[in-house]
Amino acid sequence: MKAILHIIEHDFRNFFRYKWWLAGLISMNLADLLIMAVVYNQMVSPEIAELTKSYFNFFAPGVTVVGLFASAFMIGREINMEVRRQIHHYMLSLPITRLELAVGRLFAGGLRGMMYMSPLLLTTFLFLGFPSLPQLLVILGALLLLATGISGLSIATAVSTTSFEKFVTARGLVYYVLFFCSSIFYPLSLIQTLGREGVMPQPLVVLAEFNPLSSGADLIRSFLLGDPPFTLNMVRNLVVFSVIFATTATFAYMKIIERR
Amino acid sequence: MRPFIIFVLKNLQINEGMLVSIIRTIDLTKRFENLVAVDRLNLSIEDGEIFGLLGPNGAGKTTAVLMLSTVIKPTNGTAIVGGYDIRKDPNDVRKLIGICFQEPKLLWVGTPWDVLNWHAKVCGLSTQERKRRVKQVLEDVNMWDYRRKKVHGLSGGMKKRVEVAKILIQRPKIAFIDEPTAQIDVVGKHKIWNMIRKLRDEGSTIILATNELFEADLLSDRVGIMHKGKMLVCDTPKTLKDSILGGDIVDVHLEKEVNGNAMKELKSFREVVDVVILKPNDLRIHLNKVEEVVPKIVNLFLKNGFPISSIRMSEPSLDDVFVHYTGLTIEEAEQEITSR
Repeated sequence: MKAILHIIEHDFRNFFRYKWWLAGLISMNLADLLIMAVVYNQMVSPEIAELTKSYFNFFAPGVTVVGLFASAFMIGREINMEVRRQIHHYMLSLPITRLELAVGRLFAGGLRGMMYMSPLLLTTFLFLGFPSLPQLLVILGALLLLATGISGLSIATAVSTTSFEKFVTARGLVYYVLFFCSSIFYPLSLIQTLGREGVMPQPLVVLAEFNPLSSGADLIRSFLLGDPPFTLNMVRNLVVFSVIFATTATFAYMKIIERR
Repeated sequence: MRPFIIFVLKNLQINEGMLVSIIRTIDLTKRFENLVAVDRLNLSIEDGEIFGLLGPNGAGKTTAVLMLSTVIKPTNGTAIVGGYDIRKDPNDVRKLIGICFQEPKLLWVGTPWDVLNWHAKVCGLSTQERKRRVKQVLEDVNMWDYRRKKVHGLSGGMKKRVEVAKILIQRPKIAFIDEPTAQIDVVGKHKIWNMIRKLRDEGSTIILATNELFEADLLSDRVGIMHKGKMLVCDTPKTLKDSILGGDIVDVHLEKEVNGNAMKELKSFREVVDVVILKPNDLRIHLNKVEEVVPKIVNLFLKNGFPISSIRMSEPSLDDVFVHYTGLTIEEAEQEITSR
C-alpha cells in the first residue's frame, strides 16, 4: 500500500509541474463553457432548445466530463514518454512489485483527473445549483469510476503503442470518437432520434448510448437538471468501463512494459 | 545431466574457495529478434567485491545488468541474485539491488532534490535519514547548489552525478553501476571512484559495467570481459594481464655492448619470452611477471660485467588484455558491433 502511495505521489508531483499546460487546458475548458456554450445557447433551434432548456446548463456537466477525460488521459502521455526515453527501466528497478506499480499509476491517473475536474464541477454547481449530499457522493463516486477507466484506457494505449506518433494518433481517435459519439455536446435523446430517422448510423448511436462519457455527463445532469432521469444503466456503464480498462491497463502495464 | 547441474548451481551459494557468491548466472541469455545481446552468460560474483563488467558499447553489459536487476526478462537461463531467482522471485531481488543507469533516468520536470528525495523514500529510508543522506550525497557530488534547478536545465555531467547519487543514497546490498563516469570531468571521476570504493567498504557488492579500461583496472577486484554478448574471460586484473605471454616489457640500456653468453643466460629465464636487440647496448625484453624477474635480470648483467645505465618497465594494460582475447582494440570492437 505504501508503494502505491509513493507512485501516486510521484505522478501527482509530475502532474502539477506542468503548470502552463494545466493553465492552458483549464482556460480551454472555461472558454468552452463561457464562450462556446453561451454562443451555442443562442444558436440552437427552438426544437432542440425545447430538449435542453438552456444549452449553457446542458453543456456545463459535459465540459466537466471533458476536463476529467483530458486530465485523466494525461498519465498515458507520461508513460509513453517514459517508455520512449527508457525511464521506465528506472521505475521497473524500484523495490516495488509490478502490480503495485501498475495500480499506483492507474489510480494516480484517475485521481489527477478528479483533482483537475474539481474546479470545473464546482463551476457547474455554481451555475446549476448544488446537489444534496447523497447526490454529491454518487456524482463523485461515478466520476471517480470514470476517471479510473479513462486512466486505464490511456495507460493501455500508451504501453501498446511503440512511438509517440502512434500514441498521439490513437489518443486523437479515442478523444474524437468518445467526445463526439456521446451526450457531452448534444442530448442522447436527439442522437437516438437521428438514428431512428437514419441521419446518424446506428453503430454510432449504440456507441453514444454505452459511452461512459455520456453516462458521466448525464448522471450529473440527472441530479442537477432532472433530465435525463437517473437510471442504474448509467452506473452500470461506468462500472463496466472502469473494470474493463482498469484490468486491461494493469495487465498491459505489467506484461508489455517489461518487453520494451 | 544438464538439469541436475543447473539445479546444483542454482542452490549452491558457496564457491570452491569458500567465498560467498552473491550473484550466479546460469546460461543467462537475451535475444532481441535476430540479435543475441547476451549469449549463455555463466558468471559468479562474490559478496563484497567490485566486479568490473568490461566491454565495448553493444557488448551486452547493460542488457546483462538489466536482466540481473529484473528490469527485463531473460530469453533463456536464469540468475540467482542474493539467493533469489530473478525469474521466480523478482520482487525479492529488487529489494536487494539498486541501479545507476548509463543514461540518467530522471524525469525532466523534477529537480535533483525531488528526484533523490523520492527515490530514497521508495527505498524505505526514514524521513530524517533520508534528508540527511540526500543532503550529504548532493554535497559529495557537488550538486547541492543545483538542488532546486530543473533537471532538464542541467548539463549531461550534472545529470549523471544525480544518477550516481541515487545509488549512493540507497546503499543497496547489490549495486549495479553502469558507466558511472561517462560525461564527468577528471576531478569528478576521482570523486565518484572514491565514493564507489566507499560504497563497497560499507558492505555493498558492486557490479561496475564500463567500457573505460582504466576505470575497470583501477576499481575492480575482478574483471569479466564481454564481447558480442559472450563472456570471454574473467579473473583479477593482475591475472588477466599476466595471462598475456610476454606482455610485460623491460627496456634495458647498458653501458656497453652485451655478449652472447649473457644473452643466452637471459633467454634461459623461464619468464622471458623474447629478447630484441634494438641497438648493440639497448635491449627490449618481453617477459611475464616483471616484478619477479627484474631483480634477476639486474643481477645477471652485473655479474657478467655489463653495468646498466637505465631500465624501464611497462606492464600490459587491460587494453592489451582486450586485444589479446578479441584481436581487436576496444574502438575496433565497438565499430564492428555497430556495423552488425
